[in-house]
Order: sequence, then structure tokens, then C-alpha cells
Amino acid sequence: MTKNTLTALALVAGTLALSGCQNLSSPVVRFDRQVNYGDAKAVELVTNEFGSTDLQMIAEKMTGSLLETGIFQGRPTVTLAPVKNKTSEYIDTNNVMSSIQTALTKSGKVRFVRSINQMQQGVDELQRQNQSGLYKQGTTAKIGQMTAAKYQLEGELTSIVKQNNTTKDVYYKFTLQLFDVEEGTVEWQDEKEIRKTSKR
Amino acid sequence: MRTRIALAAPALLCAALVAATAARAQLHDPATPPAVASKVALRGEANSIAVREMRIVRKNDILVVQADMANMGRTDRTVFYRFKWLDNAGNQVGDGESWKQMRVLGLGQQTVKSVAPTNAAVDLRLEMNVEPR
Repeated sequence: MTKNTLTALALVAGTLALSGCQNLSSPVVRFDRQVNYGDAKAVELVTNEFGSTDLQMIAEKMTGSLLETGIFQGRPTVTLAPVKNKTSEYIDTNNVMSSIQTALTKSGKVRFVRSINQMQQGVDELQRQNQSGLYKQGTTAKIGQMTAAKYQLEGELTSIVKQNNTTKDVYYKFTLQLFDVEEGTVEWQDEKEIRKTSKR
Repeated sequence: MRTRIALAAPALLCAALVAATAARAQLHDPATPPAVASKVALRGEANSIAVREMRIVRKNDILVVQADMANMGRTDRTVFYRFKWLDNAGNQVGDGESWKQMRVLGLGQQTVKSVAPTNAAVDLRLEMNVEPR
């Protein structure tokens, strides 16, 4: 083998080794169209409208603030009220409450009871068990035994939008209040502010 | 023999590159105290962002952390960060926080805060990377 052949072989091997080092193939079946699973927790900066990162940041801040205060001593019962959307966008604000409810339930510090939106399904099931005549006596859930909520969580989302030729600035404010149902007092309140600015 | 060396050289170069990248993976700013640096998982270079102080307290049975991020340079920086909570076995508690983006002005300082999702969290890591722009 000549010296030139050896050098050429070494170069080819080197290129292959380096390319192998940089680009490892993944175990996927993929066609020409590029579809990828992404990080659901990544910062989403596609537009400055309300997005997944805003929802996650609001839920984290509110959950953290509620847990930090220690208001949930003795695992009290809590119910959710619908969140008022006072922005100009269509936003599924109940999604924010759903995330807060999930995080608080997983913390083990609180027990949630059916909200107004979830009540009809509960009533339907109770009626089915007690009035259909299909179930063994003693196995049915009794009517009139639901636990009422000590607290109610109420929220609202507002926004201020400012725009000129080159810049759009959106300011969101999410306010969450915890009411004592019996006394009607606000026992806890916090807010999360978000500013998003985009330039053309 | 010479052929073997010639073929092995690129592989060694590749290994050296990987090792060098790994060694450079955590380059904390000198203003980050070593005790704080042990709680920070920095991806890439710090680009003048130092975590000057980290305060961890247990409030109502839940860990709460605050960290001061200081920009030691005059150029504004964008930091991406999130806290990762760990239980006493070192496993992650909960699903993990969302990533947050934060602008730290030149020579400025920002405080970031997080609350553990449950009382099972006993330790934490601050995951972060700093954009050079």
C-alpha cells in the first residue's frame, strides 16, 4: 500500500469518525415532513399571545404561593369557580385552574370538591345509583352526604396591549383569590404579571 | 502498524473533543460561590452570569428557594432557568417546572424564586443556561 493510499484511507476514516461523533441517528420512522416531539416545558416564543409558558408560569406561581402560606392546614376542602377572561383574546382560562388544581391535589395539602361545572355529573351518578333500582342496597352512595367546600378559588385574567409600527407589548395579569365560603372573606390573594414584547 | 495509528487517530480526536466538551460543560462565573455552584446545573458557559447567593428555607413544611442572579458584565444577558426538586433518594419530585426566560441587564441583578411542589422535596438544582447575546 502506497503512502498516498494510506493518507486517503486515514482521511476517509477520520471524516466518518467525526461525522459519526456529531450526528447520531435516532430510532424514529420519519417521512419527508419534519415532525418532532418537543419539550412541553420549553419556553414558547412563537407569538406574544397567551401561550403554554404563560399558563405554566401562572399555575406554578399560584400553587407555590398557596403552599408557602400554610393556609391549607388540616387539608381543608376547596372548590373552583370559573376564571373570568377579561382579555381581548380567546383563552381557555379554566385550563389554568385545572393546572393549579392538579398541582395542589398532588401536594396532598388540600381536598377538592366538585365545582359548579362538575356538579351535574355527580348528581346524575347519585340519581342513577339511588333511583334506577339497579344496585344492591348498601352499595349505593347515599344522597346528602357530600362534603361542602370551606374555601373557593376565584380568578381573573386581564391584559393591556400597546402597539406601534414596530413593537407590540402585551401585559397580562392573573389574579387569584381564596374566599372563605362561610364568612365571605378573602383569606389569600396573589397575582402573576407577565410582559411579552415582540418586534417586527 | 502505521495504518492502525492512522485509523485510530480520528477516533482519539473524536474522544478528545467529547472529553473537552464535557470538561467545559460547567463553567461557573468566578463570583458564584462553590457551595452555590454545587446546586447549579449550568449548561454551557456562564457568560458573566453569577449566582451570588441561594437561600433555602422550609416554610410550612415546604421548601422555598430564592437565588440571586447577577450580571457581572456590562452586556445584557438572557437566562433560561428552572428549579428541579429532589427527594431524599435523589429522585425528581413532580413533573418538573417549566423553563423560564429572564433578561438580566448589564451589571444588574435579579432574584428568582420557587416553591417545592410537595413536602417530599429535600434538595434542589437550579438548571440554567445563558445566551451569549
